[in-house]
Formats: sequence, structure tokens, C-alpha cells
Amino acid sequence: MIPLNFYLALSAIVFTIGLYGFITQKNGIRILMCVELMLNSANINLVAFSSYNDDMTGQVFALFAIALAAAEAAIGFAVMMSIYRMRDSINIDELNLLRW
Amino acid sequence: MPIGDFAFMIPVLPALAFVLTFFFGKKLPQGGAIIPITAIAVSFIISLIITINLLQNPEEVITQSYQWFSAFNVGILIDPLAAVMLTMVTLVSLLIHIYSVGYMSHDPAKPRYFAETALFTASMLSLVLSDNILQLFISWELVGLCSYLLIGFWYQKPSAASAAKKAFLTTRIGDVMFLAGIVLLTTDLFRMVNGTIPEQLYLLRFDVIFSYIPQLSAMNTTVLGFEVTHLTLITLLFFGGAVGKSGQFPLHVWLPDAMEGPTTVSALIHAATMVTAGVYLVARTFPMFIAAPGSLIIVAYLGAFTAIFAATMGIVMNDIKRVLAYSTISQLGYMMLGLGMGAVIGAEAVGISIFHLVSHAFFKALLFLCAGSVIHAVGTHDMRELGGVAKVMPITAATMVAASLALAGFGIPKTIIGTSGFFSKDPIIESAYLFGAESGSWLPYIFAIVAALLTSFYIFRLIFMTFTGEPRTDYGGHESPATMTVPLAILSIFALFFGAISSETFKHFVSETFVNNFVHMDIHALAELGHYELAAGHGHEPLLIVWMPIIVATLGLLLAYVIYYQKAVDVSRFVTRDNPLYRLLYNRYYQNEILTEFFAVKIVYESISMATYYLDRGFDWIVSVLSYIVFEAGDSFRKVQTGNVRHYATAVVLGMSLLVVLVKLVMEVI
Repeated sequence: MIPLNFYLALSAIVFTIGLYGFITQKNGIRILMCVELMLNSANINLVAFSSYNDDMTGQVFALFAIALAAAEAAIGFAVMMSIYRMRDSINIDELNLLRW
Repeated sequence: MPIGDFAFMIPVLPALAFVLTFFFGKKLPQGGAIIPITAIAVSFIISLIITINLLQNPEEVITQSYQWFSAFNVGILIDPLAAVMLTMVTLVSLLIHIYSVGYMSHDPAKPRYFAETALFTASMLSLVLSDNILQLFISWELVGLCSYLLIGFWYQKPSAASAAKKAFLTTRIGDVMFLAGIVLLTTDLFRMVNGTIPEQLYLLRFDVIFSYIPQLSAMNTTVLGFEVTHLTLITLLFFGGAVGKSGQFPLHVWLPDAMEGPTTVSALIHAATMVTAGVYLVARTFPMFIAAPGSLIIVAYLGAFTAIFAATMGIVMNDIKRVLAYSTISQLGYMMLGLGMGAVIGAEAVGISIFHLVSHAFFKALLFLCAGSVIHAVGTHDMRELGGVAKVMPITAATMVAASLALAGFGIPKTIIGTSGFFSKDPIIESAYLFGAESGSWLPYIFAIVAALLTSFYIFRLIFMTFTGEPRTDYGGHESPATMTVPLAILSIFALFFGAISSETFKHFVSETFVNNFVHMDIHALAELGHYELAAGHGHEPLLIVWMPIIVATLGLLLAYVIYYQKAVDVSRFVTRDNPLYRLLYNRYYQNEILTEFFAVKIVYESISMATYYLDRGFDWIVSVLSYIVFEAGDSFRKVQTGNVRHYATAVVLGMSLLVVLVKLVMEVI
């Protein structure tokens, strides 16, 4: 059986990749994908702990998180689509109207 | 049901009348005058029954007390002193209200007038029957408010508005002193009970205060290098309040200006309400005054000085109402002098002083109402334009002469023939003589007797200038309607015969207030605390002294007769701008210039406005600096908000990491 620490390390690596992408990328689609990565890293944790503790709650929780991520992604992509139609670009560095 | 159960209605009914008249007066005939008249009439009947009952059964003093908050209470105390005041106030106020129906008939603001006079009467009544000093102070302030409203009744006139303001501000000086006295008294009483108040002990109730007099007089403090007892300090602060309200020197300046209101209001202020409140306060707390070293002497000297000071100004005034105003100040001086005479005659001083207060209320109300009647008919109050009014207004003239006889104090000593002024003023002058004989300081007596001469002179000068001779200008006059002359007639009966009928009973009745009543004070023991030596007995004055007041009164009358009726002396020789004495008197000792323009305007007003100007600038500077700092800080910090999502994300990550590190560190330290 694979030890728990392996799952946790995987989760941490995935989360860090997502975070790195979220901070460095300028493309809106990429940023949304990075967010998905971070969410799924959390799901890995949930499932891993659930399996090791023989408690189904964590897996149910993960299912909920996946459904939520799907809905969020749908809305996110729709927003990106409208931005693209307005400005012919989805560079989020240009979307800085809300500032001093 | 004993009559005492209705006692609370005495002030409540006029207060109710105030509300009703104020809101519904417009819809009723005569501005709703009938409501306050009925209310005050009922109050008068209740007061009269209580007084008569008290006369027959002196032990039936009405005391009712309810807890208000912690050690303070509200309550009613009707002892002889309060009872006679209540009866006098309601009676005079009732007659003035009836008279006002005629006098104010042409005024469009009648509902406001009757509402305010009803409130005025209600506040004065609740002042009189308060059983504790806090309640008395509240009513005291209400009286001040009503006087402000009524003096400024014709607020469209700038002079009336400023007179109202002056009255309010001047009496305020006294009120602050009175309040300071109450505060000092309360803290002292709290110290005496060591902070824990026994059940059912209401600290500021008069009988409780009086029971602590020995302890209060044992407390000493140093003021301006003088060693004085707390009792002296408290009583002098109370007296300061009385000086303001009762128009004693130097806070009398508001009283002559109070003439700007309707004449009926002047009558109400000068006779029944307001100015008598100060005298009543001193009489009410008399056991404290007599146990306080020096207090009564100060009261006596200030009273005597005010009596002569105001009388000298009365003789040169040309405005009929101003003469009467100075006469009021002078007579109030007599009342204070009478109270101060407690230094030699003990509790009897309260009797003679309050008797003078009551008889003065009758004849001064009468004088003002007569003057009002003349003004109403003729339309001027400058005596130089009047003359010969007696021909057109016989009833007014006759009642005015009756009032003047009472004011000058005509009567025959040792008999019961005399006006009420005679029976009330003579005992005061005689006790001033006794004071001189006992202590060797004759100043109060000399002031009192010279003031009596001047009183007689100025009032008959007024009579001769106004009512006799030929009209000096062309005025159309007519006798006033019955609603005005009937109160005049009733009051003149009181002015003439009240003294003869009730003098002895009255004085005895009121003097007993503190001796054998709701409190049993040993006046002699108290006088020893105050270092006053009470005279063993009196009534053995030399014959000349007994006849002296009537001699000087006759002298004054003759002088006025010779100068203003026969015109044997050409007045215009003296009454010119070149005569320095006349100029001094006519300009009222330049007190307006000194007190109002120099002291009030130059020193107080200018210094306060200067101080507030710099204070204002200071605050402004502080606020500006604060706002500048906040602005600058905001300006530099808002650059953080770049609007770039990636910057925010970085900040969140950094902050989160920092938090984790910090938590870790903290956990390890713990």
C-alpha cells in the first residue's frame, strides 16, 4: 500500500504548480486552469485522508468540490469569452480598471 | 377627605390650563382666558381653605413626600409660610388674569399670553410648596424661563427682545450661585452620612437639612483668606441666587428693563411671582441663615443699601412704569432688610418680612394695574405728557391714591388705623432701629428711614404729575371697562385694610413656621451658633422712633405737593443737564454704562470672544493637522491597489506564508 505521505507530497507539488502558474501567467485561460489544479490538489488530500481513515465523508466532499469546480470553470470561461469579444484579448494585466 | 389631599392640584391646575390654553386658546373667545382664570380660582380656593385650616389647627401641616431617585424626593410642604404665599400668589394672579381680559383685548396673541401667564403662576406655586431644595430649584428655573417669555412677549420690538435676554442672563448669574450652593450642601450632607444613606432619608428635604445645621456650621473652610463655616458659604450662595431673582444690588439691572413686557406681566413679575421668589428662598432657609455667622448681617446691609439706592433713582424717572420698577427694587430691599433683622429679633423677622412681601404684593399689583389702566386709556407712559387724568378716570385715580398711601406707609402708630404698607414697613424700620441700638451700627436704620422719605416723595410726585393739574398734551382718555376696574377695587381694599385686620395674627402665624411646626427649631440655640445676640424684648422704642416713619412719609408727601401740585418751586431749575446730581440720578448712577457697557460688553463679552477666537483657531489647527496626516497617508498607501490580479495573488500568498511562519514561531515559543 502506498503510504499517505506520497499522496500528500503529490498534492503539495500539484498545488505549487497551480500557484506558480496563477501568479506568473497573463493569459486568463491559463489562470483558470491553474485554479483548477489547486482545487484538485485539495481533492487529492481529501480522498487520501478519507481512504486512510475509512471515512466516506472526505470522498463525498471531494465529489462536491468537483461539481463546484465544474460550475466555476463554466462561469469563468463564459466571462473570458465576453472579455475576448469586447477587447480581442484576454491578457488580464490589461484588466486593471479597479485600482487607485 | 382632608383638604391636604387636594394640595397637589394647586400647581397642577394652572399647568394644565397652560397646555389647554396653548393648544385650544385660538378657538375660544378672549383667547381662552376663562381656562386659566378658572384653574387659578380653584387653586386659590384650595389654598385659602388650607390656610384657614392651618390657622385654626397649627399642627395640621401638609407634608407629602415620594421617592424620586436614590436619596432625592419630590413632595409638598405646606406650612404657614408656604400657605400664606400660596394664597397671596393665587389671589393676585387671579385678579391680574381677570384684569388682563380687558387690558389685552386688542392683542392678537392672547392665547400665548394666557398660556404663559398660567405657566408662570404654576411654576411659582410649585416653587412655594416644594418640600426640598432641588424641586425648588427646578421651579426656580421655570419661573426664570417664563419671565423671559413674558418680558419678550412683544418680541417683534427689539427693545423687548433685548430686555428679555438681559433679564434671563442677569438672573442666570444668581442661579449659578444658587446651584453652587446646592452642590456644596449636597456634598457636605453626603460626607456627613459617610456615603451610606439611611432608608427613607431624603437628603435635600428642608427638615433633613435643618437637622444637620449644627454639623454644617462646625465645618470650616478658608475663602480668600477668611475663615468661614460651610453654612455661611452655602447661605451666601443661596442669597446670591436671591439677589439675582429679587433684584438686589448689583443684579437689579434687569428689573427696570422688564417693563418692556405688557403692564400686566410687570404686575405679575413685581407683585406675585418672580421677585418674591428670592425673598421666599431666604425665608424658607431662614434657620440656616440664622445659624450662619455673618450671613444675616450681609443680607441686612445689602437690603438696606438696595432700598435707598433704588429709591433715589425712583425720584427722577419720567416713565410711570420705571418709577414703579425702582419702587419694587426698593421695597424688595426692605424685605431683605427685614429678614436680615433676624440678627436681633430671631424668627419674628420671617413674619415681618413675609408680611411686607404680601402687603407689597397687593399694593404693587394695584399700582401696576392702575398704571396699565392709564396707559391703556391714554396710550403713553411718559408722565410729562400726562396730567389731569383723574378727571377722566376717577376709579383708577382713587385706587391709585389708595395704593400710594399704602406704599408710603400712612397710618397712626399704636392704633389699628393704617394702610397695610404701614403695618408691614414700620416693624422693619423699628427692628432696624433695634439692630442699631444693640450693635451700634446705625447704617441700616438711616438707610431705611431716608428710603421711606424718598418713597413717599417719588410716589406722590407720580400721583401729582399724572392725575392732577391740566393735561399737558392732547390725549383722549376714557375710564377702563369693568373687567379692569373691579380687580382694582378689590386690590385697593386689600391695600388699605389688609394690614389693619390681620397684622398681628399674620406675623405670629408665619413666625411660628420654624419653631413649632413641621420642624421644631430652637431659634436661640441656632442664633448662638451664628453668634447673633437676640434682643430680649422690644416694643419699648422711644416715641420719636415709633412716629419717625409716618413723619418722614408726611414730609415726602408735603414736598411732592409743594413742588408738583402748587409748583411753588420751579423744578426746571434743578432738573437740568447742568445739575451734576440730577445727571447722576437720571443716568441711574451710570450703572448701565458701568455694568452693562463696560463690565458686560467690554470685559466679559470682549474677553470671552477673544478667548473663544483663539480657542477656535487652536481647535481648527489641530483638526487641520489631523486631516492633513490622514490625507497624506491615504494618498501614499492607496498606490498598493494596482488593480492587477497577479499582484493581489502574490500579496495573498506572501501574507499567508508570513502568517504560517508567525504561528509556527509563536507555537514554539509557547
